[in-house]
Amino acid sequence: MIGRVYRSWPFVALAIIAIAAFVTPLLPLSNPLSMDVAHRLARPSASHWLGQDEYGRDVLTRLLWGARVSLLVAATSTAAACILGTALGMIGGLLGPLAEFLAVRSMDIVLCFPPLLLALLVVTLLGPGASTLIPVLALVYLPGFARVAYAGVLAVRSQEYVEAMRVLGASSSRILLRTVLPNIGGPLLVQISLAASSAVVLESGLSFLGLGVVPPASSWGLMIAAARTTMAQAPWLLLWPCLALSVTILTLNAACDALRDANDPHRRLSGRRRLMDALAPGMLPHTGPVLEVQGLTVAIATPGGTIYPVREVSLRLRPGETLAIVGESGSGKSLLGLSIMGLLPLAARPISGAVWVNGNELLRAPESELQRLRGNRMAMVFQDPLSSLNPVHRVGDQIAEVLQAHKRLSNSAAKAKAIALLTRVGIPDPVRRARVFSFEMSGGMRQRAMIAMAVANSPSLLIADEPTTALDVTIQAQVLELMATLKRDGNMGMVFITHSLPVVAEIADTVAVMYAGEIVEHGDAIAVFANPLHPYTAALLRSAPSENGSLPACVPGIVPPINALPPGCIFAPRCDHRRPACEAARPPLVNATPGRMTRCVRWQELQACAPSIGAVA
Amino acid sequence: MRPLARTAGLRALYRRRSVTPLVSAERLTRRFGGGGLFRHARVVHAVSDVSLTVGRAEAVGLVGESGSGKSTIGRLILGLLPVSEGRVLLDGVDIAGPDREGRAERRRRMQLVFQDPYASLDPRRRIGPQIEDGLAINNRVPRAQRRTTIKALLAQVGLTAAHADRFPHEFSGGQRQRVGIARALATSPDFLVADEAVSALDVSVQAQIIALFADLRTRLGIGMLFISHDLKIVRSLCDRVIVLYLGRIMEEGPAEDVLERPKHPYTQALLSASPSLDPTRRRVRILLGGDPPSPSNPPSGCVFRTRCPIAIDACAATPPPLDTVGPNHRVACIRVEV
Repeated sequence: MIGRVYRSWPFVALAIIAIAAFVTPLLPLSNPLSMDVAHRLARPSASHWLGQDEYGRDVLTRLLWGARVSLLVAATSTAAACILGTALGMIGGLLGPLAEFLAVRSMDIVLCFPPLLLALLVVTLLGPGASTLIPVLALVYLPGFARVAYAGVLAVRSQEYVEAMRVLGASSSRILLRTVLPNIGGPLLVQISLAASSAVVLESGLSFLGLGVVPPASSWGLMIAAARTTMAQAPWLLLWPCLALSVTILTLNAACDALRDANDPHRRLSGRRRLMDALAPGMLPHTGPVLEVQGLTVAIATPGGTIYPVREVSLRLRPGETLAIVGESGSGKSLLGLSIMGLLPLAARPISGAVWVNGNELLRAPESELQRLRGNRMAMVFQDPLSSLNPVHRVGDQIAEVLQAHKRLSNSAAKAKAIALLTRVGIPDPVRRARVFSFEMSGGMRQRAMIAMAVANSPSLLIADEPTTALDVTIQAQVLELMATLKRDGNMGMVFITHSLPVVAEIADTVAVMYAGEIVEHGDAIAVFANPLHPYTAALLRSAPSENGSLPACVPGIVPPINALPPGCIFAPRCDHRRPACEAARPPLVNATPGRMTRCVRWQELQACAPSIGAVA
Repeated sequence: MRPLARTAGLRALYRRRSVTPLVSAERLTRRFGGGGLFRHARVVHAVSDVSLTVGRAEAVGLVGESGSGKSTIGRLILGLLPVSEGRVLLDGVDIAGPDREGRAERRRRMQLVFQDPYASLDPRRRIGPQIEDGLAINNRVPRAQRRTTIKALLAQVGLTAAHADRFPHEFSGGQRQRVGIARALATSPDFLVADEAVSALDVSVQAQIIALFADLRTRLGIGMLFISHDLKIVRSLCDRVIVLYLGRIMEEGPAEDVLERPKHPYTQALLSASPSLDPTRRRVRILLGGDPPSPSNPPSGCVFRTRCPIAIDACAATPPPLDTVGPNHRVACIRVEV
């Protein structure tokens, strides 16, 4: 509630200013033109709250009448510029090359003139006055609106939802009004705030120069001009119009920002990363594993309360082993990978647990320590190699940079090593490829280059987050083969995060199945696939498309949103085997058989009554 | 299937229609680029000489890797992209026919379901009005009835009327895809192009949407062109399958034949590359070397020969024709013994 009031203050302030200006003639104020030379430059008093000006006129009255002029000029000129400019921009963006040329190039011509110069020119031609100011300012702001609308249309018209409207057979005007206009609304609102506030300034500026509002009518610019001459005797006269100008402009900007946010149906998340407390007593790494995670919980503060997208996750990975973390979207598998690397987004922070890589605890390590380890002892490969490679640097240079960041190497030695790495990941013609940019490579080639960067410093831990998801199936096979080879050669531990069960079956030694932030099953890959102990694993296996052509079985329902988890077992609402006991309390992760864990309270019963609750047919 | 042939008249209509396929694409070719004074002169053949038919209540799978032209074919058939050569017929009538009204009607009957359930819904409008667009066009459904129709459409895809007042971001990926399907169904189409419609979804949700497509096909008799890179999904949903490589058909035929007993070396490699669910069967693969060649500079003769494990010199000579190797099963490879 308080938040809502806080967010709506710009509207309230703007409304107060606008209403004050609107009702000025009705207020019990003195005539803005009536002079009282006897009391010229009088200080503020009970009858004249803000004092009197050089002709003894009431400053408050003149300020309010000035607001009328300023706001009227700003509102009408901005509205005219917005409507005309948006129309021009949309015509230019939608109606073919000739319309585009006429609409956009004509605006370019207007843009060639400095706005103030253009305004001066027109005012000189047409003579000063508020009625001239409106078309002048509209003309000055027209190109801005036209360009913003044009750019918006270009961006929106290639969106799939616009194409969807075309498939439905919608007419151009319907697409324009219903789909394109609301989606370019945000930038247009920002443009309106800029234009309106700068119109207020420009109106005052022109009036100050004597080219705007004609005396004796009131205007803030005229007031400033007049106060300037009497600055030595009555400096406060300068204060009032300047204050009014600043407050109006700030309010206009704030109101437009708030309007843009209100117009956006997405709500923004905010939060701050916080340092963690000390390590809980008794938490010590086992000797040997490359990676050990104990009881890791990650929290994200959202406007609706804190959510825990990763809860109580414990893992262990030995050298040369591949651990697959498999889960659907929202299972927390990517956040888990990022928290191991210390790369969590700003809103998320670990709140308990510990992560050891080669015996170094990372959650409490300073950022400098993490920087030393990242790209060196531990490395990461992401899903989309195009966005993870820098498009303005040559691929070879990027690999060389990773090498030089952690080792003292001469430029030529680093380059030679980079070429050797490109050869190692199977890139043909590596000398030439080292000199190309990432966008000149194919998807598979880019992912190979990413892998070359990741293994450049022979890490002992490689975290691969969906590395083959964006690739074609024949290229995926090549990359999986490559990763298996690298792992064997380097005795490197690999965490392979994926949603694809067949890929897990292909590459994993052990597998951890995650569901809505928790590990629900963990164990040897062959055993888990042959005989899943948790109903979710079984359901996942059944719903994967099979090779014999039968329709995959459905898992009813959806993954529960992380802010509305059921009280008991989180899979219970979708589970065929649920009992009241399942919904009563959150089941613990239990050691079922040696090396296998499941978070199902009924696993023994289910194993007994059906030898396999869901092995692949 | 819908009992269409109830009366003699309808039966005759049905017979005539069963002869003419619902949708047929004849020798489609689409070139990009080239021409123009300042443009890059290189022409890209995105689709070359592709013919296909889809019958009523039939699902045809269009399989290929990225750059194979499968999405382009979908858009050519829907008339979203102009064809360079060839034509597309709906019930035997050219979709680009001269009559304006007929064109609008044909457009209504052919709809598209997109891959990305996030990008294909307007983020700033509630989904009710977005579905309503399909009903409002040409005022097909009177305004008073639209609310009821939207409710029925949502029910058809497994959502409820309450969902109509929500924004797209309030839905999960699977639900959004249901909304996308409801929007496509709003014009009561006879033919759907599903362009990778399940590939962005989670496995458990994917199965739900596949089941929904199977259901729409049998219950409403909708013909479907199912574009996918996932052979297993195509196998479970489609009657026939067409395998594309670099804009050309490599192999086509009944899904079972093509995907159980592939004849073309490319189909074989594709099947071999797709990982199996069984970790004990990590098999030896036919690993294709390298990447697909650029469509702007395709190899001469058979376009697959540069990656083909069994290519011979003769493969470079002329593009291989589609030869029949079994019932409705055709392969474009000179190395296949018929």
